[in-house]
Order: sequence, then C-alpha cells, then structure tokens
Amino acid sequence: MNNASAVKALWDLRPGEAATVTGFGDTLPVSYQGRVMEFGFQPGARVRCLLNPGFGAPRVYGISNSVFSLDREIAAAVHVAINNSVEGLA
Amino acid sequence: MRRVLLLGSPNSGKSSLFNRLTGLSQRVANYPGITVDVASGPMVSLPDTELVDFPGTYSLEPISGEEAIAVSFLNEALADDNVSHVLCVADATRLEKCLHFILQVIRECQLHQKPVTILANMSDVIRDNQLHFDPIGLSEALGVQVISVSARESQGFESLVECLGVDAALNLHADRNWRETPNEILRGTAQQLAEKFSPKGDVLINSQLRLDRFFLSTALGGLAFFAIMFLFFQSIFTWSAPIMDAVESVVSGLGQAVVPLIPNKVIADFVADALFGGVGAFLVFVPQIFVLTLVIGIMEDSGYLARAALICHRPLRVFGLTGKSFIPLLSGVACAIPAIYAARSVDSPRQRMMTYLAIPLMPCSARLPVYALLIATFIPSDTALFGLIGWQGMALFAIYFFGMLVALLVTGFVSKASKNKQPEQPFVLELPPYRLPTAKPLLRNAWNRCQQFVTQAGKIILAVTMVVWVLGYFPNGGADLGQSWLGTLGHFVEPVFAPLGLDWRYGIAILTSFLAREVFVGTLGTIFGIEGSEENMLPLVDHIQASGLPLGSGIALLVFFAVALQCVSTVVILAREGSSRLALTMLVSYLVGAYLLSLLVFQIVSVLL
Ligand SMILES: Nc1nc2c(ncn2[C@@H]2O[C@H](COP(=O)(O)OP(=O)(O)OP(=O)(O)O)[C@@H](O)[C@H]2O)c(=O)[nH]1
Ligand SMILES: [Mg+2]
Repeated sequence: MNNASAVKALWDLRPGEAATVTGFGDTLPVSYQGRVMEFGFQPGARVRCLLNPGFGAPRVYGISNSVFSLDREIAAAVHVAINNSVEGLA
Repeated sequence: MRRVLLLGSPNSGKSSLFNRLTGLSQRVANYPGITVDVASGPMVSLPDTELVDFPGTYSLEPISGEEAIAVSFLNEALADDNVSHVLCVADATRLEKCLHFILQVIRECQLHQKPVTILANMSDVIRDNQLHFDPIGLSEALGVQVISVSARESQGFESLVECLGVDAALNLHADRNWRETPNEILRGTAQQLAEKFSPKGDVLINSQLRLDRFFLSTALGGLAFFAIMFLFFQSIFTWSAPIMDAVESVVSGLGQAVVPLIPNKVIADFVADALFGGVGAFLVFVPQIFVLTLVIGIMEDSGYLARAALICHRPLRVFGLTGKSFIPLLSGVACAIPAIYAARSVDSPRQRMMTYLAIPLMPCSARLPVYALLIATFIPSDTALFGLIGWQGMALFAIYFFGMLVALLVTGFVSKASKNKQPEQPFVLELPPYRLPTAKPLLRNAWNRCQQFVTQAGKIILAVTMVVWVLGYFPNGGADLGQSWLGTLGHFVEPVFAPLGLDWRYGIAILTSFLAREVFVGTLGTIFGIEGSEENMLPLVDHIQASGLPLGSGIALLVFFAVALQCVSTVVILAREGSSRLALTMLVSYLVGAYLLSLLVFQIVSVLL
C-alpha cells in the first residue's frame, strides 16, 4: 500500500476522494470546530467527498453513514491527509 | 405527575416517538431542526407520566436558537424533582453523530441523579438493510440501558414502558461513571464508540448518493429545483380546484336550502349575506390550504428540503440570507407564524434578522383567498396538459414570485446598507436520508392546519362580517348600501383608495383585512351579499366581475396584499421573537411601501391600457 500522504484542506477533495482528518485551521470559530467534531470530523476519522454541486455551493461529505454539507468557510479549515490509494466510489 | 424527557440529536425521530407514545400529533418531518420548542403530553400506556418532546440538539454547547432552548430547558428539567427519567433518542443507523450528545446527556444525568436510557431508533431500517447493530455491547460500553425501537413500526415499546416502570433507584445503578469526564475526552470516546458500534458499510449512503447525484448536480439539479417549485405552485391552484368547486356548491346549496326557511326577513338576510356570503366565501379557500400544507409536508418528509437549502445557500447569501433561511421562508408560504419560529434554526443572529424581514413578504396562505379571488376575477380558468397546468396557476406563480422577489430585494438592500461587523457564520447542515413520506402524519398535519385556520381566522371573520353586515344593512334594511352606516364610513375613507381606482367597498374590505388578510374576502362577500338581489346568491367572483373593477386596480390590490404586513399575530410574534422595534418598523415600512408600489402599478397599467 502506498502511504505517501499529502495534507490539504477538506474543500480540496474531489468527489469520490477519501481522506483522513488531521486537524483544524485557526480560521474556524471554536463553536463550529466543536460542532463538526461532534458530527464526526475528528482527527483520525475517514471522510469522503461525495458531491460538488458547483457554483461555490456547499459540498457534500460523508462520514460512515451520515452525510453533511459544509460550505467553504468550514471545509477549507478542516485539514485532511490523502492516501494515494484513492478509494473510488461504486 | 411524573415527567419523562425525550432528548436526542436532530432528526433522530423524537417527535415520531412522542406521537406514538402519547397519541398526539407533534409536527414530524425529515429535516434536522423541525421541532423548535418543547411539547408535552401524557403517555397512552402510562397515563400518570408526562412525556416531554425536545428540539433536537447535536450537543449541549448550542449554536442555534432552538438548540439553546433545548439546553436551557434541559438544565431546568434536570433540577426538577418531578422528572423521573431521561430518554435519549439516537438514530441507530447514524450513531456517529449522536454519540457525543449521548455521552454528554449521560454525564449530566449522572450529575443530577436522574436515570437515563438510550433509545436506538430506526430499528426497521437496520433490519431492512441487514445492518449490524449491537445494543447490548453499546449498553455495556456506556453503562446504561440501550433499547432498540422503531417509531415507524411501534417496535420495542414494551421494553421501554417496562423500563420506565422500574424503580428509578435501580436504573441509577451505573456501571460506568462519566461524572468527571471533560468534553474533549467525551469526544474521543464518542469517536471510538462510533467506530466500534456504528453499523458498518455504506449501503445507506450509496442509495442516498444516487438520488443526490441527480438532485444536486450542477445543471439537472437546478432544473429539478425549478420544476419542483413550479409544480408546487401549480398544485395549490390547479389541483385543488375540484375540491374548491365542491365546497363552493355545498355552501351555496346549503344557503339556498336554508335561507328560505327563515321566516324573519332581517335574520334571513343576515344568514344569507354575512354567514353564507361572508364566511362561506372564505371557506371555499380552505382546500387550497390543505393542499399547500400537504405538498410542503411531502417535500419536507422526502428529505428534499435539505437539498433545496443547500442549492439555495449561495444565491440567498447574495441577499444577506443563508441556505438555512430557505425552510423558514418556504414555511412562510403556508403561514408566517410557524416560519418565524422556524427561523430559530438559523444560527447567525444577523441572518436570522434578515430572515425575519423576508418572512412576512412570503406569500402566506392567508393571502391565498385574496389572490385566488382576484385571479379568478381576471384570468380565465383554461388549462393545458390534461389539466395539470392552467393560466390561473401561472398567474398565482407570478404573484408569488413577486412577493419573494420583493423579500429578496428588501433583505439584499438592508444587508448592503447596514454594516456587518461580525464575519459571516459558516454553513453546516446534515443531509437526512431520502425517505418515502408517510401519508398519515402528513394528512393529519394538513388537516390540523385547516382546522386551525378555520377556527382562528373563522372567528375573526365571523365577528368582522357581523359588524360589517350590521353597519351595511342598517338603517335602511339593506335597501341602499351607499346610504347605510357602512356607506357613510366608506365614503369617508374613499379618498385614500381612489388613487388606486378602488371604490369605498374595497376600501372597507382593505381596512378590515388588517386584522387578518383573509377577512378581505369575507367582508367583500358580505357587502356584495347585501347589495345583490336575494334570489340568486352568486359566487363572489361574479359579483366582482359585475362591479366592473378595472384590471389596473386588480393588479394594484394584488401588489398591496403582497407587500403589506396585515396580520396582527405576525406583528406580535415578530415582536416576541425579534424585537418590538423590528416589528413596528416592519409594520410601518411595509404598509407605506405597499401603498406606494400599488399606486405606481395602477398608474402604469392605466396609462398602458
Ligand atoms: N424508517 C424510520 N423512519 C423514522 C423512524 N422514526 C422517525 N422516522 C423518520 O425520521 C424523520 C425525523 O423524525 P422526527 O420525529 O421529526 O425527528 P425529530 O427527532 O423530532 O427531529 P427534530 O425535531 O428536527 O429534532 C421523519 O421523516 C420520520 O418519518 C423510524 O423508526 N423508522
Ligand atoms: Mg421533533
């Protein structure tokens, strides 16, 4: 397995890409950081970018069986590490 | 009375469980944040126990209004000796988003010596999708009882009732102590538990994703959005027409049967003009309100509304709103009052204020009778595409669109004009799974709404039409409306409405409509009822057509009703949820704006025609 991982923002994931949450940027208000962590966006958690509706609309991310939509303000402040072995979607 | 609290994450099925266990009908829908206030009622199987339904909250650190309500109520309730048990509802298929809250609740309950039980809801979905969920393992890990239930199929309720019956002290025996655990540790624990106990696999996500690929795709999704909105407005008008016709013929048939039986002429006139003419004219529009509530309910329960909120987020932001304003605004199409409450789920105070500004401009169902009446007066009822689409539906779409446009222009202008000190709040929204709407709660909700509408508005309309009738009938026994007390009063206010091409009868109807908009129809019905000959009780539309109301005045009336804030209850609730200053400012400025706009419209149309 190729473990070369690159850190980027959740917002940079393309639909179908999966990554592991590594931390949060400091642009995110503390209350919202708490909220996304309660949603399951915790360091170590696997997230998948499911959809990008385009036109700057909030994007859709999946954690386990839950689906959330986050806008740029939040998703750009969630740091993730991508493993090169991208799990494609069915 | 013992009280049992029903807490849990948004959209986990608390209100559904509440309804099942109490036999009541709290509003249920597939969108996180539907319940915005606490509700309570006695349990069917334990009549001495009162169940309390809470608004959903993701954690005990609230970020929105309805969450803050849940948290402050919880703190009060935990200190209350009557509270004998806390039930924490979780969506068993999506445990990961519930566990942090569950742990927080267990901790608080242990601190306050209250027994707590976890209800893992949606066991029917677990079964149907052959997911694996281990309530016993979870129970051991948490140190409290976990019961699998399904609100949809009323499963697991025996164990639930049994556990509520057990002596509280027994329930308090906790294998694990969370009392001292700080939030950060709880978060970590929640994640570990989620990894261990959340149903594995992505069956649920994948079926949801297929639909989302369509509804959220760049081009098709936008088209679908407009198609759905278009059908929504068509449904209100075109599809409810047959029921309306039926109500109309029942009302007039009844009138024709009853009135001749009354010996006293004055009473007979009163029954014909005020009751059948005034109240009857308004009853005809109740089916539309039923269809409207039903269609909004279907959209909510299917899960589509959350997608619509997402699609609308960017466009709405241009106007100082957020995607989360979409649901309050759409509810505003039914009625401004629940919409103002629904705005609690908008987390940013500034955007909530903008949402308040927009809500009373949404074309609410109280305007519907007025719109419908005027549209039926001027637009032919032809349909196309096998009756699916009609000109009247299109006209309604246009006037609804106008109201929304004004709403956006107002919020856009105000948000540009007022300096924003704080940064914009970010947007996070859980997308609930698509679900087939369940007919029974939807129909019940629509029925309740109509009942409310008839009883609340009906009372006002009855009172107003009675007063209007007395003023219009005397002193000359209905012989000459122009010389009646009402006529005298009308001629006094006529100068205000004359620039809109409206005579005093419409002036009086507008004045009475400041109590509630639908009163307009009742008042006109009564006035024309007195004026019309006794033998033929014509539908109000025919009366108006015969009165020669010019098209320009018709459109001016539509514009006036679209903009003016003619609803006492809305003003009161705005003052309570927002501030008195806000309510007063909106009342005055929307009134002045409505008058000036309709004046402009009338003048333009008069010049063109
Ligand atoms: N399949 C299934 N669906 C359920 C069950 N319980 C609730 N639902 C659905 O889940 C959705 C949310 O239900 P609600 O009862 O409104 O949830 P709530 O927890 O009160 O939500 P909020 O008030 O928004 O916090 C609705 O579409 C329900 O029909 C269940 O046991 N099985
Ligand atoms: Mg609820």
